[in-house]
Amino acid sequence: MKLDLPFLPARRVVSLVFLFTFFFICNLQSPGADPSGSDHGVSRADLRRGERFFKGLLPFDIKHESCISCHNLKASDSLNWNPSAMEIAIKYASRDFASFEQVVMSPSGKKMSEVHQGFEIEREDLAHVKSYLDEMVQTGYPQENMEVMWLVGLILLILIVFWALIELIFVKKIKPRIITVVILLGSFGWLTNILYTEAVALGRQEAYAPLQPIKFSHKVHAGLNQTDCFYCHNTAEYSKSAGIPSVNTCMNCHLIVREGTNSGKFEIDKIHYAFDNNIPIEWVRVHNLPDHVFFSHAQHVGAGKLDCKECHGPVEEMDVLRQHSDLSMGWCLDCHRTHKVQFIENKYYSSYKEFHEQIATGKIDSVTVEQLGGTDCMKCHY
Amino acid sequence: MEKKYYKSIEDFKGKNGSLLLSEKAKGRHNEPVTTSPSTRRDFLKLFGFAIASAAVVSSCEQPVQKAIPFLIKPDSITPGKANYYASTFYDGNDYGSILVKVRDGRPIKIEGNELSSISKGGTSARIQASVLSLYDTGRHRNPIRYGEKSSWDEADKEIIEKLNSIKENNGAVALVSQTIISPSTLAVIEEFKKAYPNTKHIQYDAISANGITAANQKVFGKDAIPSYHFDKAKVIVGFGADFLGTWLMPVEFTKQYSKGRKLENGIKDMSYHVHFEAGMSLTGSNADKRVVIKNSQQKLVLANLYNEIAKESGADVINVGQSPVDVSSLAKRLLLSKGNSLLVCGSNDVETQVIVNGINYLLENYGSTIDINSPLQIKKGNDSEIAELTEQLNNGEVSGIILYGVNPLYDYQDKEKFQAGIKKTELSISIPNLKDETAEECSYLCPDHYILESWNDNEIKKGFYSLAQPSISPIFDTRAAQESLLKWAGLETEYVEFIKKQWETNIYPNAGFSGSFYDFWNKCVHDGVYEKPLTNETQLNYNANVLAAGVKGVKSEEYELELYESVAIGDGKQANNPWLQELPDPVSKVTWDNYANISLQLAEELELEEGDIIKIEDKLTLPVLIQPGQEYKTISVALGYGRENAGTVANGVGGNAYPLVSYSNETRQYSKAGVKFEKLEGEHEFAKTQSHHSMEGRPIIRETSLAKYLEDPASGNELHEKIEHHKTTLYKEREFKGHHWGMAVDLNSCTGCNACVVACNAENNIPIVGKEQVKLAREMHWIRIDRYYSGDAKNPEVVRQPVMCQHCDNAPCENVCPVGATTNSTEGINQMAYNRCIGTRYCNNNCPYKVRRFNFLDYNNADAISNNEYDPAGMTVDLKRMVLNPDVVVRAKGVIEKCSLCIQRIQEKKLDAKLENRPLADGEIKPACVQGCPADAIVFGDLNDENSKISKFFKDERNYHLLEELHTLPSVGYLTKVRNTEA
Repeated sequence: MKLDLPFLPARRVVSLVFLFTFFFICNLQSPGADPSGSDHGVSRADLRRGERFFKGLLPFDIKHESCISCHNLKASDSLNWNPSAMEIAIKYASRDFASFEQVVMSPSGKKMSEVHQGFEIEREDLAHVKSYLDEMVQTGYPQENMEVMWLVGLILLILIVFWALIELIFVKKIKPRIITVVILLGSFGWLTNILYTEAVALGRQEAYAPLQPIKFSHKVHAGLNQTDCFYCHNTAEYSKSAGIPSVNTCMNCHLIVREGTNSGKFEIDKIHYAFDNNIPIEWVRVHNLPDHVFFSHAQHVGAGKLDCKECHGPVEEMDVLRQHSDLSMGWCLDCHRTHKVQFIENKYYSSYKEFHEQIATGKIDSVTVEQLGGTDCMKCHY
Repeated sequence: MEKKYYKSIEDFKGKNGSLLLSEKAKGRHNEPVTTSPSTRRDFLKLFGFAIASAAVVSSCEQPVQKAIPFLIKPDSITPGKANYYASTFYDGNDYGSILVKVRDGRPIKIEGNELSSISKGGTSARIQASVLSLYDTGRHRNPIRYGEKSSWDEADKEIIEKLNSIKENNGAVALVSQTIISPSTLAVIEEFKKAYPNTKHIQYDAISANGITAANQKVFGKDAIPSYHFDKAKVIVGFGADFLGTWLMPVEFTKQYSKGRKLENGIKDMSYHVHFEAGMSLTGSNADKRVVIKNSQQKLVLANLYNEIAKESGADVINVGQSPVDVSSLAKRLLLSKGNSLLVCGSNDVETQVIVNGINYLLENYGSTIDINSPLQIKKGNDSEIAELTEQLNNGEVSGIILYGVNPLYDYQDKEKFQAGIKKTELSISIPNLKDETAEECSYLCPDHYILESWNDNEIKKGFYSLAQPSISPIFDTRAAQESLLKWAGLETEYVEFIKKQWETNIYPNAGFSGSFYDFWNKCVHDGVYEKPLTNETQLNYNANVLAAGVKGVKSEEYELELYESVAIGDGKQANNPWLQELPDPVSKVTWDNYANISLQLAEELELEEGDIIKIEDKLTLPVLIQPGQEYKTISVALGYGRENAGTVANGVGGNAYPLVSYSNETRQYSKAGVKFEKLEGEHEFAKTQSHHSMEGRPIIRETSLAKYLEDPASGNELHEKIEHHKTTLYKEREFKGHHWGMAVDLNSCTGCNACVVACNAENNIPIVGKEQVKLAREMHWIRIDRYYSGDAKNPEVVRQPVMCQHCDNAPCENVCPVGATTNSTEGINQMAYNRCIGTRYCNNNCPYKVRRFNFLDYNNADAISNNEYDPAGMTVDLKRMVLNPDVVVRAKGVIEKCSLCIQRIQEKKLDAKLENRPLADGEIKPACVQGCPADAIVFGDLNDENSKISKFFKDERNYHLLEELHTLPSVGYLTKVRNTEA
């Protein structure tokens, strides 16, 4: 029988399905490791023994918790203040065993000495652990793909749509055709919904909270210690960019504050390392505006007297900084339409005579950004 | 008076009705962009693939962006805010006190330094473009030794050894440099000479002014070029000196010239300018009266003029032949403005310049419009010295040669001989800052910093200093030339410390500065300039005996050759700069080429057509361009083209005319009588921006004469009132509650020098499209300067008009955009949202001013699809992209762009006012074109502010709008051009 599909040629269906699949596979990227380290002449068995020791799997009596219970393999859990195994591995890869032993067995930091107090570890075991960590630097940590299930589900969904179409048009085995139609529409609707959500979210990163090279906590600095935002982001009031503090700004306090309550010495040491070795800290940028748009912090914070929170949310409650707003054009315009400018206070607006007259006569009591042209294209796009 | 305006040679000839595109270009317009035979199926495949890849690309996780702060933030640098460093541009030919705009460590724009009393904030196209030369990919990246990459230590060691061995053997060393105006560099050279007393320093200028210096030496005993004051002159007479475009100090002269011709603030008088020349120059085309003479007739005409004046002044007359043009009325006019007139001549012939000096002396111009007591320090090169050196080199009399910033293997008339001479030396060192033809021929190449990377001090006139400070740390492994020389002389010191010491001992003690030297130095570096004019006027010793005993008539049947500097390329140093290559010549509107200008008469006589190839003197093959206003038998050719090793942009563009420079009477001559040329086979197509800007006979340019203007200020502009009278609309008139931005161009001040065009290029990231695309009328300049001829084709009058987006309040482009990508703002700006534009080009089609530009290809590498990229000038390499302004979007293929009135600058200044809690001041916002203009011809401001300069301009009777009869209500106005003529 000749395939004669009225509205969807089979080839196109196949290519569409292929496209959707391709489309979603791309969502399933996982972070790659960048291993670097040195070679070691350690036997495989020793490495495994080190690994088992690290993970607390060795069948002997340990009074303390295993290493892994504090030091995750990778820094996936943001609330774990302790350095991850990988971070330790990288830091000590280039150092000898003696310094490693020194730090593990008789640490100098307050927090670490409390936890590591009374460790009884055989020297040989510790050496194995070091070897295991050194190897980790080279090979990277094992990758897990949490999203495989999601992909399987998606392919299943696509297959259902495909099957339902074939069933409806050619096979026609299920008699009450309404069932097939419901299944078809249901699956198709769900697919469309996923597509729609994905499409809207294109280029947007709401709730983006990437891990930073240093476990810097805004909660500790802005919340607990009540540091003013402008102490670190001091250009926000007069420059386009709010400014990521330079390392010497960090050093103003951390020259003295060498150890954190939560993180101990490990994280703060990174600042000192950067400062002493002239290596800039590569923070991950959280707030990325779309292309073709200009935004000035000075305009909003300096002239508009907006509070940082209005866009950045409760930063003082965030251990890991999260993008609070979606930074979409709709979100910008909402505010421009409703927000009132410093019309009376700022003498710049004195040339807007008509509005001043209207305020004087009580006709209006304030002026919004939009009334001053705040929704013009070229306010942001040029 | 009904004037007929022409715009191209086809108009004169009365053929070619359609002027939108040349026939050749038209044919090509219909060809597909790519040469591959694309079919519909290919398109569908690509389309499908593009959608798939777009989906894939966009759905993948966004790339992780890093934010890397300073380790230790310098106090003066704020990310996101520009710093301005006062500096100086001087490359041996052009000079300007400048401010370098630096964003995040990268120089991105050059502005004029308003503190300088010489350039007064003005710039030229070449100075504006120099910021791109900093990022020239051709620059040398390290020292080179016998063609191999080397290190400074290695090169230094060997050079010092060789210099010492030459010294021991009593060999001679020649240090050839361009004219050095830096007192500290001269001191460095003295140090070098101290270490190697066998050194001779020779200054060599590609474009020599030796004729002037030698004439002044003869007449006044002063071997110098005087300062000129065109602003003080009521009558200006030019003889082949393109002082508005290229001659000596064009920026300073344009400032002065335009000042003397402004009709604003109640001034009702302007200077009268007569220009005698052979080829049509920028200056000649601005003159009130342009007289066409041969260059060989200059001396004759000048001598006749001298005699006319001498007769009245009681001086001795010279024995002369009959002048080809009548100069008696001019002489009368000059005598009427005795002491307030100025005669300048571009000739490099000493005898001619002696007569010029005589005339100016009789007119009592010395001390008023000419100041020989504070002479210009440029062009001190002595032509006989370099000629002598060439001989010595070839005779093996010179053992070592150091070529500092000069390129004789390109711009010396007998470069083969010079090259052979270099080969005979034991040691040849070159110190170039850009790639050139000479450097690689030397055994050691010790690259100098670029001007924007180096410290220097410049004394442009006696007592007028301008410091240069680096605005970026050296990009490559280069070293300041002065440091190299000091090092070879055995002194290990940083050049900046050397300058400081010089200033501390020589300048600070006489400055009368109350603070310490440290404060004095910091103030000078901050201001960029330190000016302490000399006050002691010395008496002039005039020696009339040197005037030529007799001047004979010249043969008129011979063909003559005139070599000139083009406004874009100058002497050719910056030829590898694509902004300059794509800059239309202000007269011919040709880009990316030089050519042989011939007159219409000659073309008809010899049956030459535009684009025919001729060979001049067996040395230079060039296409022919028919130029209205060209002298009948003179062929004019621009220098600066035909570079062979300047970099990918300049190599092979045009032909090198320097070999045609002749040497006679101990000076280099840039014009020559009795040249021969022959027609060759083949034809050439020019990339002109001219013939597709037809105004189709509408009253676009309005002009009048001074006499009529004094009678009625609205003369020539009667139409304006008529149209204003009819201005009525069914719709509610638009209201602008806050600002209403407007711009006005005074056509009387605009000389057409093109500085605004390059300033706009730099500010707004305007792409370079290359020669082939310009032929297709796809150039992207947001501001263009239209040029129209009127009157007699043999010597037409010229008018120029800068045209940018007119920002109509009732804009035809806005109504037709199907996606609302272009709209009018509440401040009267016609906005363009690139990310909304889908490229239908309806707006382009509906714009009566043709100011919208479409990105036919991806010139900037701004979109993700690599096949779209079209980069004829290497502008997409990382190094050159450093020049991009981060405050302006880099546009991709398929969108329209146009002038935004520099919205980024408006926003910046508005924000500054808000932050400082004050109203905006008038004149505070300066779009790039306004800021760059050396003639102050463009005014920008708030039309809602009644006291602003722009409001006054708009109320002026001379003000009109382009095509105002269309009721587009432009926010850009033009003031009528007034010529200082009777009729």
